[in-house]
Amino acid sequence: MSEADPAPLAAWLAACANRDRAAFARLYRATSAKLHGVALRILRREDWAEEVLQECYVSIWTHAPDYRPGLAAPMTWMTSIVRNRCLDWLRRPRLEVADEDGVLTEAAESDNPGPLAELERAKSGQALSRCLGELEARQRQAIALAFYEGLSHAELASHMREPLGTVKTWVRRGLLKLKSCLELQQQA
Amino acid sequence: MNCNNKPELRERLAAEYVLGTLRGRARDRMRRWLREDAALARAVAEWEARLTPLAQAVQPVRAPARVWDGIEARLGSTEAGSSRRSGWWDRVGFWRPLGILASGAMAALLAVVVLLPAEKAPPAESMPAAYIAVLSDPKTQRPVLVATAARQDARLSVRALDPAILVAGRSLELWAVPRKGGPKSLGLVEAEHATLQLAAAADRSLGDIPLLAVSLEPKGGSPTGAPTGPVLYSGPCVKYW
Repeated sequence: MSEADPAPLAAWLAACANRDRAAFARLYRATSAKLHGVALRILRREDWAEEVLQECYVSIWTHAPDYRPGLAAPMTWMTSIVRNRCLDWLRRPRLEVADEDGVLTEAAESDNPGPLAELERAKSGQALSRCLGELEARQRQAIALAFYEGLSHAELASHMREPLGTVKTWVRRGLLKLKSCLELQQQA
Repeated sequence: MNCNNKPELRERLAAEYVLGTLRGRARDRMRRWLREDAALARAVAEWEARLTPLAQAVQPVRAPARVWDGIEARLGSTEAGSSRRSGWWDRVGFWRPLGILASGAMAALLAVVVLLPAEKAPPAESMPAAYIAVLSDPKTQRPVLVATAARQDARLSVRALDPAILVAGRSLELWAVPRKGGPKSLGLVEAEHATLQLAAAADRSLGDIPLLAVSLEPKGGSPTGAPTGPVLYSGPCVKYW
């Protein structure tokens, strides 16, 4: 579901607000693979991702009446629910996230933007992709690792082998630059 | 928090909250502020709109069928799927305590599991309780009632963790809420410790019951056979082995 038409998602969400379980099932079928992928990237464990996904869809159903189409696109709203839940999940002290396959280290070391290249192909991601391209490589990497892998400042610092303060500055400046670039794109 | 005079701070907090680098207590504080500070909430919504397109680049991974099954179990089934029924057991908010299993109440549950069998299992019963339901108060999320049964036993042992839940002049009625259809009464909870007689061995009477709930009823129990008063407590009924 990379570029799903937002219209049916919004309609299904509205139907969910009226307790329409059939619409909820359609919404799930259309969006769960993508949200499962998002959760897997951050949690890196299938059982955790599945648990979080279940909690999030229950939450989506429960809070469907609170969804306001004017405030957020349906996928933005649902993705935020999943990412927030994943980040909460990672806070449990017993959960040490292992980088078993070395994906993180590899991502941190390479200059390859990785999944960011995918953004180019998604229409609504083009402006974001262009603006990310304008960031310094390390800023871009720090932001991508934080978003996709759910890394904290401290984890970013250790994965990127840089002092904490430096990494924090990259993130902060990178985000500011991203915002002004996106605003310029909007005006253009 | 009042960020009105600090637009830069607001912007930074919102951005890092959405990116995910705002962690720990700072994240908790942010959640509280978000409920009170409309400008901050707006800034977060704007950042979500800016950054969430990044998620489009994530490779979709088909979720196994058990994920959907689990969601359905947590929400409970409705036959037609589209009509709003009047029973409280169909209202979603009521099912939310199911989520507690995955969160902090797990520790309480485990503590109870460890404590209960020694105290409640009849001497003849060598196997400890297999079915355990911890019912909690949705307002406080605190566990208030524990029901346990061994697999082959038709006795359900019910223990009020907080005796203050017993209400003089009214009865608390315990219900088994099946996946389909209305709740079935399991009996009244009228003392701190109670043993209720199940219609059959727990494997048969609780095996397919995802949830137990307690409603407030007139003295002596519901006159209709279905819950008539408000649902005070509920919790998932889990088979452990």
